[in-house]
Amino acid sequence: MDKTRTRTLQQKSSAKWLIHLFPLPALLVYVIFVLYPLFSAFTYSLYDWKGIAKGSFVGLQNFIMLFQQEPYNEMFARAFGHNVIYFVGEMIVQNGIAFALAYIIYRKIRGAEFLKAAYFLPRLLSVIIVGFLWKLILNPNFGALNTLLAKVGLQEWARPWLGDPDTALYAIILVNSWFGIGFAVLIFLAGLQAIPEELIEAARLEGAGGLRLLTRIILPLCMPSLTIMSVLTFIQAFEAFELVYAMQGSMGEPYYSTDTLAVFFYRLTFGGAGGGDTVAIGLGSALAVVLFAIVASVSALSLYVMRKREVQH
Amino acid sequence: MKKRSLTFFLTLALGSSLLLSACGGNGSDTAAPGTDQGKQAGDSKGEVVLQMHSWRVEDVAGYEKVIKAFEEENPGIKIEFKPFKATEYNTILNTALQSDSGPDIMQLRPYGAGMALAEAGYLEPLDSVKGLDVFSKESLAAATGKDGKVYGVPLSLNTTQIYYNKKIFDQYGLKEPKSWDELIAIAKTLKEKGITPFAFGSKEGWLLSLSHGVIGPGAYNGSAFVDKVLKGETNFLSPEFQKSIERMKELTPYFPDNFTGLELTDLRTLFTAEKAAMFINGSFELEGLRKANPDLQLDFFPMPTDDGKFVITTWVDGSYGVNAKSKHKAEALKFMEFMTTKKFGETFANSLMRISAVPDVKTEDPLINKMADLISTSPTPYLMVVNFNEGNPTTKQTLETALQGMYLGQLTPEQVAQEVQKSAETWFAPFKK
Repeated sequence: MDKTRTRTLQQKSSAKWLIHLFPLPALLVYVIFVLYPLFSAFTYSLYDWKGIAKGSFVGLQNFIMLFQQEPYNEMFARAFGHNVIYFVGEMIVQNGIAFALAYIIYRKIRGAEFLKAAYFLPRLLSVIIVGFLWKLILNPNFGALNTLLAKVGLQEWARPWLGDPDTALYAIILVNSWFGIGFAVLIFLAGLQAIPEELIEAARLEGAGGLRLLTRIILPLCMPSLTIMSVLTFIQAFEAFELVYAMQGSMGEPYYSTDTLAVFFYRLTFGGAGGGDTVAIGLGSALAVVLFAIVASVSALSLYVMRKREVQH
Repeated sequence: MKKRSLTFFLTLALGSSLLLSACGGNGSDTAAPGTDQGKQAGDSKGEVVLQMHSWRVEDVAGYEKVIKAFEEENPGIKIEFKPFKATEYNTILNTALQSDSGPDIMQLRPYGAGMALAEAGYLEPLDSVKGLDVFSKESLAAATGKDGKVYGVPLSLNTTQIYYNKKIFDQYGLKEPKSWDELIAIAKTLKEKGITPFAFGSKEGWLLSLSHGVIGPGAYNGSAFVDKVLKGETNFLSPEFQKSIERMKELTPYFPDNFTGLELTDLRTLFTAEKAAMFINGSFELEGLRKANPDLQLDFFPMPTDDGKFVITTWVDGSYGVNAKSKHKAEALKFMEFMTTKKFGETFANSLMRISAVPDVKTEDPLINKMADLISTSPTPYLMVVNFNEGNPTTKQTLETALQGMYLGQLTPEQVAQEVQKSAETWFAPFKK
């Protein structure tokens, strides 16, 4: 009896020791594909680069150039502004609509399951396909949107949506919202469904209804999903690249009106049009480090602040 | 159990390290066979195999003919042509060269970008290659390093010009313009008849610098102005250059609706569907236009200048150079020599339907012949590609975005010229004084 017990204990302790080895393969992948590039980008940013050849150590020269020298400082400020608009737009349009939709589905209307699948459908497409599709829809002369406007007698509303700097960025934000709404609906729905039925029933019995129920009971209890979605939206907005690249190219056309930090980074580091353009790996790496610092610090801070405000049930 | 899991882990670790080393080795493995295979083949069969890298995946069939012609003349030398995707070519080539496993013969991007490889010491100077003197100084400039040595044999030339629809022109009794005013008059007539004069769009920047490359020389009278710019005797704030930008603006009423949102594919459609009468584009677009509408009655005219002449905008599209570390330099240089011959030029031009860099080469295509003739009589360089494709962003890109800004009503032509000058001053030595 005693013997078997010690053996199981021994087995247990050796198993415990082994358990620590299990994350190793994943850790290895993480180190090679995440930590190492991150670290190398940081070191790259401290050197002077001649094309693809590493030059001498220049300290923070690249960072100073990025923030002080024309045209880089202008481009940085403009792209940063666009990222902020991107984030605000996504929060209002994508997450706002997604929460409303999730709430409707949560109230168990007919066909809820079908709607859930339908909203999620765009997410199954590749971003490049989404970009191409919407480029066709928004095409100024042959596109479906302008044709539709003309058909219903609103031709003066028709514009080159992606070619006009006043509308191009918003058009892309809307397309991205269309793409991302299904995912946000799922997250919010999961949050809503996690609220215990009894709490809502109790609130109802106390006389809370409609708006009061939503703002006082449901929203606070949904905070975890709102938090995670806001942080995800922030990260996504500050790393916005694929859709802009697919729809407006690496110059953030027209006239830099859809430029974002990630597109600016791509342009700096890998050159513009694939062919013989010059590359500035040092500057690009400096920008990547700044971008990482922004995303990591704001995400961590907002997670910390918002977690504190979450209610336990 | 402990033992078993330990062995399991060891196997796993070993496995993953093998996998990793396999990945790591892969790069040099694929790039190396060039030299290695060549050596082995040379030992066993008395035959040398040269590796040749290019970014023209679409031209494999054409290159086969060219290479066959070379191999017939030079028994004992075989060439293995290996193209990569154009957008990935630079990276692949750079990596291979850095790890000393580059190809023997490689296609070089024209001008500054290709010559950066020469500066890094990866290219063999070709000044001693026989036949190199058939090329004009302008053609050789595309592969001449900052040290004045030639590092590449120019392969093909590009031109940009205004294509037009002959049927539409005939229908309204229009003739090729002899001056800027005539061009504007043609555009006016077409507009009155309800036809879009120019298939033009400003959404894609590169089309803007390309169009300026055609319109501009008409305003500043071609190469004389270019020479002065290159010497630093005049700059982009000069009235000549400003006039070239103003002319870009003057064309605005003759562009399609919503042209700020149109891309190359839209423009191609407008022109080949015969809804637009003129299309500013390059010689490389010719095949595509013909394929899109075989019935299109296609022709082009060179740009009339203000001093009553014509110019065609031209530049070298690429050249071939030899790896300085190649094990078969002598054989590779033989191929370079072959590339300067008329036989090569004719085989190349006819099998790929491009303009050969070898002068006086005739093809079966009358339009390509017309382009080639104009190149020899009245060429002017595509200034932004040939001389101002440097800086970050490049001066060419600066011109593109500034023109975009002009068409969107955010910049005046004067401001466009200022932006271009400002960009050039950051790196162009004659402007730095």
